[in-house]
Amino acid sequence: MDRGMVIFVGALLTFSSSWLGLVLYPYWQLQNEQPYAKSPGDDPYPRPLAGQALAGVRVYQANGCLYCHSQQVRSEKFGNWWEDGQMKTGADIKRGWGARRTVSRDYLYDRPTMLGTMRTGPDLANVGARYAEPWQHNHTFNPRAVNSWSVMPSFAFLYAREKVVGGQKAAKALKLGREWTVDPGYRWRPTDRQWEAILAARGTAIRQAHLAGAVARVDPDSPAGRAELLEFWLTTEEEDYQVVPTTAADALVAYLLALRKGETPLPEAKE
Amino acid sequence: MAPTTPMTEPERERSARERRAIDSSCRVPVLYFAASAVFWLLAGSALAVIASVKLHSPYFLTGSPEFTFGRVRMAHLQAVGLGWAGMAVMAAAVWLMCRLSRVGLIYPKLLVFAGTLWNVGMVLDVLGILFGDGQSVEWLDAPRYVPPFLVAGLGIVSAWTVATFRRRRERHVYVTQWYVLAAVFWLPWLYTVAVLMIFWMPATGVVQPVVNWWFGHNYLGLWMTPVAVGAAYYIIPKVIGRPIHSYYLSILGFWSLALFYSWAGMHHLIGGPLPVWLVTASVVGSMMMFIPVIAVAINHHMTMLGSFHRLRYSPALRFTVFGAITYTAVSFQGAVESLRDFSEVAHFTHYTVAHAHLGAYGFFTMIMFGLFYYMVPRLTGREWASPGLIRVHFWSSAVGITIYFVALSIAGWWQGRMLNDPNVPFANIVRYVTPFLAIRSYIAGPLMTVGHVSFAILLTANLMGWGRQRTGGPTYFVEPATGTAGGPRELAAAGR
Amino acid sequence: MSPTDFAVLATVVGSIVLFGGAAALALGWAFRDGQFDNFEQGARSIFGSDEPIGEPTDAFPGD
Repeated sequence: MDRGMVIFVGALLTFSSSWLGLVLYPYWQLQNEQPYAKSPGDDPYPRPLAGQALAGVRVYQANGCLYCHSQQVRSEKFGNWWEDGQMKTGADIKRGWGARRTVSRDYLYDRPTMLGTMRTGPDLANVGARYAEPWQHNHTFNPRAVNSWSVMPSFAFLYAREKVVGGQKAAKALKLGREWTVDPGYRWRPTDRQWEAILAARGTAIRQAHLAGAVARVDPDSPAGRAELLEFWLTTEEEDYQVVPTTAADALVAYLLALRKGETPLPEAKE
Repeated sequence: MAPTTPMTEPERERSARERRAIDSSCRVPVLYFAASAVFWLLAGSALAVIASVKLHSPYFLTGSPEFTFGRVRMAHLQAVGLGWAGMAVMAAAVWLMCRLSRVGLIYPKLLVFAGTLWNVGMVLDVLGILFGDGQSVEWLDAPRYVPPFLVAGLGIVSAWTVATFRRRRERHVYVTQWYVLAAVFWLPWLYTVAVLMIFWMPATGVVQPVVNWWFGHNYLGLWMTPVAVGAAYYIIPKVIGRPIHSYYLSILGFWSLALFYSWAGMHHLIGGPLPVWLVTASVVGSMMMFIPVIAVAINHHMTMLGSFHRLRYSPALRFTVFGAITYTAVSFQGAVESLRDFSEVAHFTHYTVAHAHLGAYGFFTMIMFGLFYYMVPRLTGREWASPGLIRVHFWSSAVGITIYFVALSIAGWWQGRMLNDPNVPFANIVRYVTPFLAIRSYIAGPLMTVGHVSFAILLTANLMGWGRQRTGGPTYFVEPATGTAGGPRELAAAGR
Repeated sequence: MSPTDFAVLATVVGSIVLFGGAAALALGWAFRDGQFDNFEQGARSIFGSDEPIGEPTDAFPGD
């Protein structure tokens, strides 16, 4: 084997076999796929993203969401394990991640197609159907405000904390307790000293607010009572400050709400 | 084994002079690539530890967009995958090609230019991702302005490697040269097609992930693997002074790798919204990989037989053999992992991450360390400054990757079993893997980083001329001025 | 058999014939051309008079 040409031609042939088989052939097989419309007058599915949702793809990409969240619902027949002498399959659908498996047509307009590589977090193919906008904003701002066990990063940097002007909070302001909003990205608690000062200044108002919702009155002078008041106060919203989404956060949430891949029935996705 | 060529001292001297001339012709560009590679290895290690900690302690470095998990994760893969692995492969390819063709490198400055293109591209790549231009396409996360730099640099290196080969003065084309030639031909094609079909003229929908994994898997299989296997085919025989066991096996190994490795990779898409035959074709390709892997394993083992005691004496050999053994292990694991029943559990879990690191680190990186330990002193004319630090490097890297692999394999396997069971709440899975990820952050990752820092110190010292002049080891015994004082045969007789 | 299945089958069989045939031809040529003569000699090509077979070329510095 002393000829460069042999190696070159061999390397060319072997490699082009996989190029033809794995790249060009599926390219050719799938290039003519069309959106689906049940009858000629119906809106076709899927539709290309537009506006804020389209801008949200960039935010999703730039922050590497793909590295923890997949976007594919696997079929009812997927999986293979035994429990109590019974074979069980299709965890994705049973977890409520989609009503059916996703198929190639669901991804017609995805650029890039982010099928995912890891499930540190749940699948997002159909997340738009699972949660509403306020939940998405709260969760994106600080996931632990929603799920205490979550290890997802806080995306507080996509939100702005600002002083309320004119006594009226913005409609878009997050409805989160002050423990989440005072120090965005973290869970805030006052020091004992600060809490004493706060109680001294606004204790009456806090106690009244607590009374409005609580079944029993608490004694503000006992340690237990103070602790309960603190827990209550932390879950109430800040009065003078609000947290509002930036354009990027709005775009991201618009994209998440637009992710509804496991919903519209398709003839090829029976399972 | 008896020497093949009759040795006379003048001939020996002439041959040594020739070898040194070849080495010194590629000194500047090869060391430049090697040092850049090590720089990116350090950067990648830092990013790795940050990303790893963030995965179980979400409040760590929160608040700054540049250090959010997704961005650091992308930057880590680019730094180690392209920066370290890419530039280490190029250093190895150029040096091995010059030595094996027995011809000096011409216009070394052109390669320095190519290396600078890569470094500029990598700086833009890593910083671009951290500042929000990442693409979220695994292995191809580089911002859109980066690929032109990398393709241009790669093109120069590939062309120069082929040009060196064409000027060869050695009649026999050694097995390492096939691997290197094929790799420098494959990657530019692979990379251009992938960038073209995913970014510049995007293919429809799910064809993109297909191209993505064809690239991702082949970057390892047709770029890192061939050059690392080729390097082992050179280092092991050279260090122990014994030709490889069977040349037939090496040829079988090469061609079967070329044919089958390129078909593996689609099992990364198992259960996905794709034609099922794609995954099946890849499973076949992965299973056929047993042929090249067993061929290489037998060949390396039979070559080493009777010389294992030399692992104590030669750092290059120790790293290389560790890598070669891991190659066999990781390839067996990979073939089994591609099987459908297995993959259905392992997919989307840390099990895959553990496997990827065993391949990219335990196999590839360790062999590259071995090659560098052999190559750098011969290029600089300086011995390594501290054998102790080499030992630190070896043991922390070897123990680090072992802990890494075991911890994440266990975590990933059970993570996969729980993911497939709808009765297990998601929160339980998150809680289950956390301690294993902490082991990675606080034990495995730091250990590997200690190894890298040791190596960086050794390399810096060597490049600054802090080590003693190279006198030990047979290569440099034959100095034209001093003759063969303290000759190599005494050393050989002493079992070194 | 649907047209898609047929196309898949045709491609698979076609590529086996094409690539297998090319490989067989290449192998035949290599034998006739003497590429396998003196084969094991290639394994020795990395050694030379300064670094002959039988001599180790690397050691821990300082040991």
